[in-house]
Amino acid sequence: MSKPSPEVYETGRGMDAHNSVMRDIRSEKQKHYDPHQPTRVWIDEDNTPNGVYQSLTIILNTGGCRWARAGGCTMCGYVAESVEGGTVAHDALMDQIDVCLEHEAENTDEECGLIKIYTSGSFLDEREVPAETRAAIAETFSDRERMVVESLPDFVSEAKLADFTQHDIDTDVAVGLETATDRVRHDCVNKYFDFSDFEAACAEADAAGAGVKAYLLMKPPFLSEPEALEDMISSIKRCADVSGCHTVSMNPCNVQRYTMVDELFFRGGYRPPWLWSVAHALKETADSDAIVVSDPVGHGSDRGAHNCGECDDLVQKAIKDFNLRQDETVFEQVSCECETTWELVIEAETSYNMPLVR
Amino acid sequence: MTQYFEVLDRDGPARLGEFRLTTPQITPALVDDILVDAGSLWAQERSMPDGSDDHITVLPHRSLPAGTRDEIKDAFAVETPSVDFPSAAVVTADTAADRDADAYILSDVRSFDGHAAALREAILTTKSAVPADTALIVSGIATPGNVATLAYAGVDGFDTTRAKTKGAQGKYLTTDGEVFLEDLRELPCACHACQKPRSEFTRTDCIEHNVSALQAELTRVRERIRAGRLRDYIEAQSRHEQWLTAAFREFDQEYSYLEERTPVLRNTELTATTEDTIRRVEIQRFADRVTSRYRNRFENPLVLVPCSAKKPYSESQSHKQFLRAINFRGHVASMTSPIGVVPTELELTYPAQHYDTAVTGRWSEDEKQFVAAVLERYLERNEYPKIIAHVPEHGYRDICQRVEEALDLTFTYTVADHPTTDESLANLSDALHGFGKFSKREREHNTVKAIADYQLGDGAGDDLFAAANIRTTGRHPKLQVRNAENTQLATMVPQYGLLAFTLAGAKRWDESDVETKRVEIDGFVPHGSVLAPGIVSADETIRPGDEVIIDGPKAFGIGRAEMFGSEMERSTRGIGVEVRHVEER
Repeated sequence: MSKPSPEVYETGRGMDAHNSVMRDIRSEKQKHYDPHQPTRVWIDEDNTPNGVYQSLTIILNTGGCRWARAGGCTMCGYVAESVEGGTVAHDALMDQIDVCLEHEAENTDEECGLIKIYTSGSFLDEREVPAETRAAIAETFSDRERMVVESLPDFVSEAKLADFTQHDIDTDVAVGLETATDRVRHDCVNKYFDFSDFEAACAEADAAGAGVKAYLLMKPPFLSEPEALEDMISSIKRCADVSGCHTVSMNPCNVQRYTMVDELFFRGGYRPPWLWSVAHALKETADSDAIVVSDPVGHGSDRGAHNCGECDDLVQKAIKDFNLRQDETVFEQVSCECETTWELVIEAETSYNMPLVR
Repeated sequence: MTQYFEVLDRDGPARLGEFRLTTPQITPALVDDILVDAGSLWAQERSMPDGSDDHITVLPHRSLPAGTRDEIKDAFAVETPSVDFPSAAVVTADTAADRDADAYILSDVRSFDGHAAALREAILTTKSAVPADTALIVSGIATPGNVATLAYAGVDGFDTTRAKTKGAQGKYLTTDGEVFLEDLRELPCACHACQKPRSEFTRTDCIEHNVSALQAELTRVRERIRAGRLRDYIEAQSRHEQWLTAAFREFDQEYSYLEERTPVLRNTELTATTEDTIRRVEIQRFADRVTSRYRNRFENPLVLVPCSAKKPYSESQSHKQFLRAINFRGHVASMTSPIGVVPTELELTYPAQHYDTAVTGRWSEDEKQFVAAVLERYLERNEYPKIIAHVPEHGYRDICQRVEEALDLTFTYTVADHPTTDESLANLSDALHGFGKFSKREREHNTVKAIADYQLGDGAGDDLFAAANIRTTGRHPKLQVRNAENTQLATMVPQYGLLAFTLAGAKRWDESDVETKRVEIDGFVPHGSVLAPGIVSADETIRPGDEVIIDGPKAFGIGRAEMFGSEMERSTRGIGVEVRHVEER
């Protein structure tokens, strides 16, 4: 982890408070998981610099994120989805990979060209995924065309990525940057690295012949809808300008259990972003150098990005379509009366009246 | 120090205020156009704005939405600098503190939006933490339906954001709630936006209508505050939304918050038509003072009579008949819902001659219990040689019998069928047979003493006036109280049945054992009014409308309080006391 920014006193106090609260919230969760089963696995389609692939997405159940054990990010509930004891051995991790391969075999006729592995932590952190396991997983998928592995920027190194690139796999590191604005990342998300660390990770990846996919969080807690939208648009643009970062994935914040966001949501102090905001950010950045995609989780529900309830599926469909074709005219095909409400929210929501509309 | 907001008038916790900007803005009002937000520190660093007298600058803030834990609130607390332009600080109820701003904006509105107890808690906590003469603003909550209750609770500033988003969602707002546009066959409004056929009325029109309905309601609220009748309005209007009814009832549970802010006199009607009226401060205070301060000085029997619609009672046809039959041989006290018991000396005293109620002869159990409790306490404190109940069946008789039983007393009932029939009046006269008539002098002396008791405290009438060997001049109800040297001490004010003191009266009060209500001022001689900055200290017992002694190194005077005591101490703007008489020391 990099050190907190020079505003040591303020961010330090904020970080301590966030961590203390998040630890307390997480301690309420009692559920434990089988180390031989992945957290989740599914098949989807993804747009990459080499075109659209069928993808196998794996949420690997590792010991979980170390930062989250210290408290961690205000919106992240995945940490609780880790195993008792905190570490998962090589054999168990490989068992999880086998379960995923079985899932793939059962659900699709042809092998997925793209493998995406997330850990709710850092795949490249050797305390989460040992070097031995990393190499074995790279070996397992050596015949695939493309891989994405999730990691915090600190753990990204040319040497580790060579495990994958040596098999001629097009490799990307998925970095949960959340926002290009350090202040928002620190104070709203409680994630402690700086944009400069992200830039450094991009350079490491570049040197290894790999790429970086930046994950941004649409509407962290404490930001109003217009603030969040503005921050998202500028973050996408800043990421796209970093060499090595070829894709930006915008994740609308969803309300996960056992998080600070959930507590705010429960008391009425948080609303996930509007799908119109997601669409707007995609439109506004369609001409950027990076591929910009978004996959709103739980769209249309109170806990996920949503509009009025009437148009959520349509807008979600347009977003999915945009993900594959990067053509902003898809959004001209959708309209709803609730756009006026959203425009009013963008015009008038402040952090002292939010959320203006549920 | 509050420079750009001033409280001009009060109606209980509601205030009529003024943002003192280039173009002044009277509150309660919409503040959309006069608030300029310097921005959230969560999103980015902000430089301190320059500000302007044209608007209120919302100082850079880290707002803490509903559900934020205390640790986070503490860690991210923002130091608000002192600025010399009109400013507002963003706070939550439990982080509110004196930030030296003119206004405070509550950022956790969602925690009390629709929650009566949470609203009460938020307002009370905030009000106790910020100076009394600052404005309280809430954003994103006001509707035509809730704004009167929010203003009643003590909120000064609102905005149109909720009204607009509701309109955009196709919800048509009125003072009686909200309805889906699709469900409306006609538009129940005559505002500009509603001047078109229902079929052509769009959501854009609905936004415009909602905003005008909100503006109109705020205008009504301001007028109601000016008239001292906001409570009368919300007792009826808030019935349309359950949480609002619950909200003002929650405030009724906070008697000291309301009592401190409720004036002791008004010159307007008090509408007593709901079961909540009984819990009003004015009603409770009257009952409390009658049973803990007032003391009967007549030696004649008590005659309990029913109230009359006409006020004061003694001018009604029925009471004139009773009084003829009684012929000064009995002390009359009227039984009434919701006031309780009104001894004749206090029949002009606010709110006894000001309330008006719907009379059907049907008494609710609440009313009976209340009046019985007051009568019981009254009779525990006041002894009479005989108690005559000249009251009809239904309610009145019921109440009397409960009290007789509770106190082991025996009342003489004199009404045969109806109180004003010849037979009943003859019974009444007969019941007083053998008792002597009291004199006009006794009646008048007892009246001014009773008012002094009620106004200043138990025993005040005797302490103030008996030793001074007073005499009364003038014609009831405009009695003047004079001492043995014929110097006027006080005047009874017929409009609200309280005493107004002269300078000599103020000195008499000051010298007596009666607890004074005193406002200590700086070294100046006030003329017209004493402004808050000139007040050094003020007794906490002072209520708006109270007679107060003005005392300073250079001046001694008497006046009427415009604020409550702690408000005088915690304000830096506004009129604290209207001066009636003053002299230099």
